[in-house]
Amino acid sequence: MAIKALVPWMALPRSSRVMLLIVLLAGAQWAGAQEADSVAQSPMPAVVPRAEPLKFAPCEQCHQFLQTNSEVRTLMAPHVRELAHGDGRIWCLNCHGGENHAGLVTLLGEAASFEDGHEVCGGCHARRYRDWRFGAHGKRADSWQGERTVYGCTHCHDPHNPALAPRAPEPPPPVRKGLDRPEPQRESRQPAWAGGGAESAP
Amino acid sequence: MSKQAAKQANSSKPDAARRAFLKGLGLAGAGAAAAPAWGGETFLDALGDLFQKHYQQMTPEEVQEALERIERRAQRQLGVDINCKATPPQAGVVFGYAINISKCKGYRDCVTACVKENNLGRDSQVEYIRVLEMEQGTMDLEHSEHYYAPEEVPQEGKYYLPVQCMQCDDPPCVKACPVEATWMEQDGIVVVDYDWCIGCRYCMTACPYWARHFNWTEPEVPPEEINPDTHYLGNRPRSKGVVEKCHFCIHRTREGRLPACLEACPTGARVFGNLLDPDSDIRYVLENKTVFRLKEELGTEPKFWYYTDG
Repeated sequence: MAIKALVPWMALPRSSRVMLLIVLLAGAQWAGAQEADSVAQSPMPAVVPRAEPLKFAPCEQCHQFLQTNSEVRTLMAPHVRELAHGDGRIWCLNCHGGENHAGLVTLLGEAASFEDGHEVCGGCHARRYRDWRFGAHGKRADSWQGERTVYGCTHCHDPHNPALAPRAPEPPPPVRKGLDRPEPQRESRQPAWAGGGAESAP
Repeated sequence: MSKQAAKQANSSKPDAARRAFLKGLGLAGAGAAAAPAWGGETFLDALGDLFQKHYQQMTPEEVQEALERIERRAQRQLGVDINCKATPPQAGVVFGYAINISKCKGYRDCVTACVKENNLGRDSQVEYIRVLEMEQGTMDLEHSEHYYAPEEVPQEGKYYLPVQCMQCDDPPCVKACPVEATWMEQDGIVVVDYDWCIGCRYCMTACPYWARHFNWTEPEVPPEEINPDTHYLGNRPRSKGVVEKCHFCIHRTREGRLPACLEACPTGARVFGNLLDPDSDIRYVLENKTVFRLKEELGTEPKFWYYTDG
């Protein structure tokens, strides 16, 4: 079947084949661009403003007298010393614009305010950004209907240490008076792919 | 009259017990105007309760009267001013829910928020949401644990699967009810008329998700913790002997607000919205994520999905 399908392709002159390939590739490119456009053209949700004001902003208080030093190094307080974000792949000035003390900078070098932190995060976390923008990641505020109002990335994630820390759960359900809590059935259950089947075979 | 005295009266004078009974009846009749004789109700309210119809058969005036009776009863019995309403479903809305199990960490904040929001008895073992602690790589509900209480969650090698009423589109609980005290509303929420429920618990047996709960005792809520924002089909004060279940926070969601469990979730794992609106969050999840439903093979068509990141 595949060979039959290839016959007209092989019958084409070389120049036509190249042309056709270009058209196909351009089509794929166009489809990708369409998807990116659907994100760009969808209405931007309103973002809940920061709950707490920034502690040391504006940065100009100190930095108007200091030269920007882009050398990667350990910073003094009040800056974050240990950057847990990115496992050492990124450094302060990837998000905090060197010369732009008033705000942040995206991966493309565009200035963004501290309220637009999601634009900076989205530079690397594109799929998360897409999910957040349409409602599969993050949290909606206030209402399920009408214009979307959502919480921004930094509402939940500390941008310098984005993983949520484990904590104690709320108490388990009460057991009715006079009854014992049922013992969990703790026989070990291996995942289906964890072997066992292969070894038992002769 | 003590038991022994009654026994004695019975054996020695056959008509003494009857006389005492008749005397008591006369006293109860005389005390009709006083409160305690009608179980803490006034005579008129007790009469109103007795002749109250099924919620779906009440006229708007009768619904209003029932709501006022509920408010008066809460005032008399609990000393709390509540606002009980019967907000109707919105047109063109069917509610759906989705949970991202990659994001759920088992904190149980949703459970606590739900108990408070819905005036659930604090010691009655009725909790609408159960968070199951599951072995990673398995979908074995039989071996899940919902009494987990480690110092920290998430635990290594576990994932967490919150289960509540799935608001099935073909609900087996509704079919099982012999008195039609439970039904599906236009917006897809399966509700219970607590005044019509006879407490037979057939619905609990029919539900494959353990989503329905029976009040074995009078639900006890400290008066200062009672949520005064209530709905006839939702979180109004219930009594002993009736079945209740998650109702997608009907008193909130019919007014456009989000369910309390979603609002309480610290990880943003919960998504709620209108299934009929193509631009809603829930529709984005259903169309762009890999979703699954629990026990889908039973054909009850739950309006409750689970999905993962990626």
